[in-house]
Amino acid sequence: MRYADFTPYDIILLLQGLGVTLALFVGTTLIGLFLGLLLAIVHHYRIPGCRPVIVVVTEALKNSPVLVQLFLVFFGIPAFLHIRMTPVEAATLTISLNTAAFAFVVFRSGIESIDRDQIEAAKVFGLGRSQILRLVIAPQAAAFAVGPLVGILVNQLQVTSLISVIGVFDLTKIGNILNLRTLQPFIVWAVIGLIYYLAAKALAHAGGRIEAALRKSVKWGGI
Amino acid sequence: MIVAENVEKRFRDVEVLKRVNLRVEPGEVVTILGASGSGKSTLIRCINGLETLSGGKITVDGHDVSTKAGLVAARRASATVFQLFNLYPHMTALQNITLAPVEVLKLPKTDAEARARALLDRVGLSAQADAYPQQLSGGQRQRVGICRALAMQPRYLLLDEVTSALDPEMTGDVLRILAALAAEGTTMVFVTHEIEFARHISSRIVFLEQGELIVDLPTAKFFAEDGGLAVPRIRQFLSKMKKD
Ligand SMILES: Nc1ncnc2c1ncn2[C@@H]1O[C@H](COP(=O)(O)OP(=O)(O)OP(=O)(O)O)[C@@H](O)[C@H]1O
Ligand SMILES: [Mg+2]
Repeated sequence: MRYADFTPYDIILLLQGLGVTLALFVGTTLIGLFLGLLLAIVHHYRIPGCRPVIVVVTEALKNSPVLVQLFLVFFGIPAFLHIRMTPVEAATLTISLNTAAFAFVVFRSGIESIDRDQIEAAKVFGLGRSQILRLVIAPQAAAFAVGPLVGILVNQLQVTSLISVIGVFDLTKIGNILNLRTLQPFIVWAVIGLIYYLAAKALAHAGGRIEAALRKSVKWGGI
Repeated sequence: MIVAENVEKRFRDVEVLKRVNLRVEPGEVVTILGASGSGKSTLIRCINGLETLSGGKITVDGHDVSTKAGLVAARRASATVFQLFNLYPHMTALQNITLAPVEVLKLPKTDAEARARALLDRVGLSAQADAYPQQLSGGQRQRVGICRALAMQPRYLLLDEVTSALDPEMTGDVLRILAALAAEGTTMVFVTHEIEFARHISSRIVFLEQGELIVDLPTAKFFAEDGGLAVPRIRQFLSKMKKD
């Protein structure tokens, strides 16, 4: 067996890469969704001074290349603040913020899609802010948001491949290593692409099921 | 008792309510009449705290709606029925009705549901308890809206043009329910364009003219030649309403 041949061990390498990609994806998704939701709530309650800041920052995140953001975080911030940052930290921070920016927009329109009239009714009947948020706004905003969010997350899964550039050993980085060793780019990248594809399909499928379940419990036919 | 004293409301620099005084005693049905834009809805919204006053004072059973604690207490004492129903679309009729009793009055869920079912039964909607607002007609939605208000067992019902989004047939259904409530002694503040109905159920009628409450009379007196009809603006308003 020559050094350049594919070996069974490569499958383990691929699985490790996939594991890193998925771990990063899940981690940044959880942080990103939480942060996006928080921003949407802060935005909704017009907490003084927060609105313009939120809008400017999320717009910047949505409208600049993720790779540039990644470089800014990995190279720029450590140089500017004289701190150390590992590739995984930089990747987590960047993708989380990026997901948060997109999630914010979806949550915000979910909240805005709700008629003010019902909120007035809830107020008049004596419900407090957090009760209105939890019982009136959240269920409707969630049903509204799931579809677009799944679309965003499928995209963010692909975006995680960029972190290989700063040296995180994710699926794409493993692809790079295998490619350099075997010099079989067609096979390597086809397999890597297929793995991303299957992961994305599984994610979309799971999202579809969540959406169906949510809509069944909120089957008012609206939205 | 609901007491409004010298109530003023401005939107930017437009004066919408000008030193309005109004008292509603328990057991009364007070109808607010007035042309479109005269401030009827705004007055109701000041009473239930959806608008903040620019001047004057409103108390509901002594609770000042402009204080935080007062507003909470005032909102427990009254309940509002809205022109466009304002139901929660993601909840069934039953859930719409039980939400506030469970969350605000802290009623056990089973009690709240029993109360809601009894009310739905009363307005002829027992079969629609599990229907979502989208699946109901306008008249049915408004009946749910009335049940939602009654489930809070309010001392005062505030109703702002609750039939004006309904077609005549459905209007009849809703008005019959309101007439029955009035006959039972439910205290109501009622904004309507249904003059004949107002005449039938009201104990008093007040007339708003460009934000000023210019007339406040017992119903019979309001429709008498030497009472409300002696005011040219009211005579004009009533004859215009008859034509429409
Ligand atoms: N949120 C607001 N901002 C600015 N102006 C308002 C607002 N709400 C009401 N107004 C104005 O206040 C005036 C009174 O409005 P209001 O809705 O109380 O009238 P109304 O008597 O209920 O009329 P209608 O019979 O058409 O319902 C109107 O001129 C209206 O344009
Ligand atoms: Mg009005």
